[in-house]
Order: sequence, then structure tokens, then C-alpha cells
Amino acid sequence: MAALNDLFLNLQRWFVGLLARFLPDWLVMVISMLVVSVMLIVTALVIVLWLTWLERKIVGRIQDRYGANRAGFLPFGLLQPIADAVKFLTKEDIVPREADKVVHLLAPVLMLGASVMLLAVVPFGKGMIGADIDIGILYLVAMSSLSAIGLLMAGWGSNNKYSLLGGMRAVAMLLSYEIPMGLSIVVAVMLSKSLSMQRIVEAQGGWFGLRWFAFFFPVGTLAFLTYFVSALAEVNRSPFDIPEADSEIVAGYFIEYSGIKFGLFFFAEYVNAIVVSSVATTLFLGGWQGPILPPYVWFFLKVFALLFVMMWFRGTLPRLRIDQLMGLAWKVLVPVGLANVMLTGLGIAIFRALGWA
Amino acid sequence: MLGLGIAKGLAVTLNHFRKTYFGSGPSKGRGLFTVQYPEERLAPLARFRGSLAHLADPETGGPRCTACRICERTCPVGCISGIEGEGRGRERRATQYLYNIGECLFCGLCVEACPFEAIAMSHEYELATYSHDALVYDLRKLAEIGKKYALEGKEEA
Repeated sequence: MAALNDLFLNLQRWFVGLLARFLPDWLVMVISMLVVSVMLIVTALVIVLWLTWLERKIVGRIQDRYGANRAGFLPFGLLQPIADAVKFLTKEDIVPREADKVVHLLAPVLMLGASVMLLAVVPFGKGMIGADIDIGILYLVAMSSLSAIGLLMAGWGSNNKYSLLGGMRAVAMLLSYEIPMGLSIVVAVMLSKSLSMQRIVEAQGGWFGLRWFAFFFPVGTLAFLTYFVSALAEVNRSPFDIPEADSEIVAGYFIEYSGIKFGLFFFAEYVNAIVVSSVATTLFLGGWQGPILPPYVWFFLKVFALLFVMMWFRGTLPRLRIDQLMGLAWKVLVPVGLANVMLTGLGIAIFRALGWA
Repeated sequence: MLGLGIAKGLAVTLNHFRKTYFGSGPSKGRGLFTVQYPEERLAPLARFRGSLAHLADPETGGPRCTACRICERTCPVGCISGIEGEGRGRERRATQYLYNIGECLFCGLCVEACPFEAIAMSHEYELATYSHDALVYDLRKLAEIGKKYALEGKEEA
């Protein structure tokens, strides 16, 4: 059991030990960093590919149909993502004549870069973290704001009224929803007394690994809910898919993008969905903590449960109007978040005065 | 209560999701409704009108059609043509009969008009071809369709 728990860590240790026999220390470090980052990106790519398949299946089932089930020789349409990827790669790459070429081409790269960089601080298991920095949460919030710039670049660079409209909406939405998101993150930080992702998870360790902050009623539960709602908005998922509302502005900021550039946006969006689910898991659902099963299994179980909820929402809720969207952020989530922070502070002070914490 | 509507909606969709896996079927009016066409087929209703078919004479095995050309004159779009026959009186039988399914509107008036019940609208519905010529069926093809239709045992329906 212990061997299974530390499987990936031991693999890494074995690999580094192997290299250290015939390479200088600095080279070993560079190589192990490279290997870890490549593994992160490849894992994310593979998960994203089949996440699109999963989403199509789940939304299909919700609508009483099968979803993708034809492509390739594998059952259940398991090769559909491969077919999609090949299609993305072989489609014509079109840049509009009047577009701001540099900005237009750079936007998808920036989007993907911003979302992949987020993976660095996600603790996938006990000790399984790309970079265990002390201000992991701060880094995460900062990096996720970068995608707003990417969206605006895409909207502006395409020189299309719909894309510009989509970009403006996206930025307005992202900026609004970052505040309740930050406020709910603050609650988790206050409860764990740390900004490091690892230590936040470790703080949720008691009660057989079930001392999750989401169970700290009412503050933790409320913070989890506000975080999840604003995270849905952060990653442009339904019912907050205003920036790409097909029925209003066709496809929003990526209307002019074709082929692999569109693929990059798509990929970035799904990586973002995985990252916000991972962060919600880390902050409120006890990260990799849990009884019996190995830590990374617990982590991915929780992440996929949240992703399922996201798809479930997509199959259920209609899109909010832009004014309802802003109203929800500023009139509901921000006051609730602020009150929640105050309540948490008060609670911690009371617990400390009583000597319970 | 705030959010109750959303919870109700989520319950509805989750129920539909569940029913696609457990204890369901199109016959019960819930679950998966998609028919996986090449592998699964819905049986056409008895009154369904597909391609025209020539029925066989139970005594001779040949066509029942006497080439009286009433169907040709009844057809509102003129998709029946080239009818030829052999023999005299009660022995007369069709030897050729051209039916252009590309023009046919499946109204069934020819079947209504036929005094010998020699033709019927079969349940044949996979009628795509690669050329216009293949849309014109001759007597042999129509008899084949009729044989298949008779085997399905829905002739009298």
C-alpha cells in the first residue's frame, strides 16, 4: 500500500538517481524539471482529449441520446478525440486580411501558456506538485488573470465586431468574477493559515482524511459554492458562456480562428476547467486526502466529480443574460463573499478565545 | 427558496442521464431514443408505402400482372411505363414493366386501381442508387421486391 501511495515519487527518485550516476548535479536538475513539465503537459493533453469525449457522452445521455460512438475501431467512440485532433491539425489556417496579425496569432498561444502554467502549482498527490512555492495560491490567481488578456487580444486582433464584443464581454466577466473567487480563496487560506497549496491540503488532513473545508458549515461550504460558481464563470463554462454565446455573437472572441489556433483555444479552455476543478478540490475538498485509496486516485476522483458537475450544469442550465451575469457577480457573490470572510475571521477569533483552535 | 428551481432542473437532467443506463427503452417512453441505424432498424408500420412491388401468381410463380395498363393511366406523375404483355384472355401476363422510383410519389393510386391485386406498395425504403438509370426498376426487380415483401408476411395488411 505504501509503495502504491508513493509510486510516482519513487519513480522520479529512481530516475534522478539513475541520471546522477553520470551527469553533473545542475544538469540532473534541469532534466528532471523538464521531464516533470513535459509529463504535466502531456497528461493534461491526454486528459483534455478524452474530457471532450466524456463531455459529449454525458451531455448526450442527459439529452437521451448516445453521443459520439462511431469513430474508429474502438467501442464507444473512444477514438473520436483523435479524429478531432487530426481535423484541427489539417484544417486551413486563415488570418483575416484586416487583422492585427501578431496579436491575432499570439492570442491562442498566450491563452494556452497561461492555462498550462497553472498546472505547475497543482498538488496531484502527496508530494506530487510541479513547484511547491509558498505563495502558490497567489501565483494561481495571478496566472489565471492572464487569460483575460489573451481573450481581449483574440477579440481585438481578429478585427471583427463579434469577436471584439466577445472579448469585451469576456474581460468584463473575468474581472468581475475574479473578486468573489479571490474572496472565497481567502476563506480557505484563513482556515489553513497558509498560501501554499501543499500546506492547505495538509491542513485538511484530520478525521480520516475527511476534514475538508467544504464540510466547515457554514463558512467553508459557502466559500466552496461561491468559488465553484465564480470558477464556472472564470473558465467560460455554461451557464456563464457569455463570451462565446453562439446564439448572440456566433462564437465570440474566437470567431475568426480556424484549425489548430481554434484547437489551442479549445484546449486552453478545457485545461482551465481541469485547473479550476483541481483548485476547488485542493482548497475545499481536501485535495489528495482521503481514506484507503492512494492520494492521486482520490485527487482525480474529486476532480472528475467536479468536472461531471460542470457538464451536468451545461446540460441543464440556460445561459445567463449579460446584465444578470454582472448582477450575480456584484450583487450576490461579492457581498456573500465579503460576509463570509468576516464570518470566518469572527469564527476563528471565537474558536481561539475558547481555546479550540 | 432561492435556488430551488435550479435544483429541480438538475434533478430532471440527472434523472434522464440515469434512465439512459437503467431499466428503460424507447418502448417505455424514456431512456435512449436514438436508433443505431445500420445495426438497428425500426420496423415500418403496416400501412407504410415504400417501393412498388409485383406480387407473384401463387399457381405459376410468375407475375400476376396482366399488363392491362390501368396503373399506368392512373399514375398522376407517369412513373410507370413500358408495359408489355404476352398471351390472350385469362392467360395474358406482363413481360415488361418499367417503374421509375425517382419520379414516384408513393401515393398508392396504382395499387388501388389494380383490378387483379397484382401490385402492392412494399416496405422497401433503402432506395438510394449511384445513378439515375438505376432508379428505373424493371419487372424482374419489382418481382424480387414483391417476393421479399411476401416473405415478410405483411401482404394482407
